[in-house]
Amino acid sequence: MNIRFPKSLRIIALSLVAIGILALALSGVFTSFSRWVVLPLTSIQTWVSLQYQGVENFVSASQDVREIRQQNTELEADNARMQAQIVELQQQLIEFEILSALLEFARANPEHQYIGASVIGRDPSPFLNYIIINRGSDDGLRRGMPVVTQNGLAGRVVQVTATGARVSLITDPVTRINVRVEPSRSAAVLTGSITGDITLEQIPQDDDVNPGNLILTSGLGGNYPANIIVGQITSVRSRENALFQSASVQPVTDFSDLSIVLVIINFEPVDFTPLIPESGTP
Amino acid sequence: MSVILSIPTLGLIAILQSAVVSRLPLNRGIADLVLVVLVAIALQKTITTSWQWSIVGGLFMDFFSGLPFGIFTVSYLLATGLALFIRDRIWRFSFLLQLLVVFFGTIFSHALSFIVLFLQGTDISLGTVLQLVTLPSVILNFMISLPIFILIQDILEQINPQE
Repeated sequence: MNIRFPKSLRIIALSLVAIGILALALSGVFTSFSRWVVLPLTSIQTWVSLQYQGVENFVSASQDVREIRQQNTELEADNARMQAQIVELQQQLIEFEILSALLEFARANPEHQYIGASVIGRDPSPFLNYIIINRGSDDGLRRGMPVVTQNGLAGRVVQVTATGARVSLITDPVTRINVRVEPSRSAAVLTGSITGDITLEQIPQDDDVNPGNLILTSGLGGNYPANIIVGQITSVRSRENALFQSASVQPVTDFSDLSIVLVIINFEPVDFTPLIPESGTP
Repeated sequence: MSVILSIPTLGLIAILQSAVVSRLPLNRGIADLVLVVLVAIALQKTITTSWQWSIVGGLFMDFFSGLPFGIFTVSYLLATGLALFIRDRIWRFSFLLQLLVVFFGTIFSHALSFIVLFLQGTDISLGTVLQLVTLPSVILNFMISLPIFILIQDILEQINPQE
């Protein structure tokens, strides 16, 4: 038997059912039920969403990677350029500091005329403490001219070519320099050695010399101008029956790190050779 | 190898020796780049101009050094002579021979320098020289011997590829 309701009644019934469901939902009757249904749906949706994002990233990444690589290459190049600039600037700063100190030294000793020179090499023999500088006879350098740093005496020119010169450092084994000790004003002779250490010899036994005393060139012998600082006494050796005392000296110049020096060009070493009597001469 | 090639090559090596290697001492000793290169060249059986190379190298070093002229040339000739003497008698070459010749070459060079400076009146003692100069120099020369020996061999193989 087929019972047919009027259309209006069906609409009313459906409306009542809908309102009832809504009322039940609003009253919270469906909460536990909806949790059971929504939870797996949310999980599945999350998983799908993550997979989609992964695929999306993979697709878009190839283009990003190219851009990132290009940027990385550019940044690396910039970085290398800047590192080189830093090294160059540091080098310039060191040179500037040395030149400032040299200028200060030159101003403090205005009686001399100077030419600055770069140290371009060292003697290839370990037996000699020589340096090679980039100034020569074309620049007015002559054999025997003293060489100083911002701290004090470094050596003297022993050989000159047109564009370079060889400088014997005061640590060289053949070095003999007449010096005086301050404040006692004792005369002594400074000698170098194969080890690079410098020693004061021939200090009169009665003279009062102590560690910390300054060593300056005396000007005697005519090989060096007077009053250039050489170093400082670190220890004194004195024996009772000896004629002279000796002392170890710490040079003021760091010879392991010489890069720029000043050559005193208005000093003419005195040549005593004609005054030395030849052997056999009465 | 051509003697003409020795002039720029050894000139450059001598400049490197003076400008760089001499600034890297071990105690008071320094490596002798030219000596090690000349020994490595002299020990190669394909080289017939070792004497000329040692003369050129010695002249360059004598030019750069403040030691009396000829000390380096004579030292290098002695080292080359020793290297050729050994090379012609030992059929299979070993790197140990390079070390042996470098050792004696350094001793020749330092002995000559010591004798000349001593005769000139320089106050140096043999013990100090051996301890502070010669021994560190030998060690440094040994240290640079292997890379230089390999480099020379590679260069010669490039120039004269063996069948």
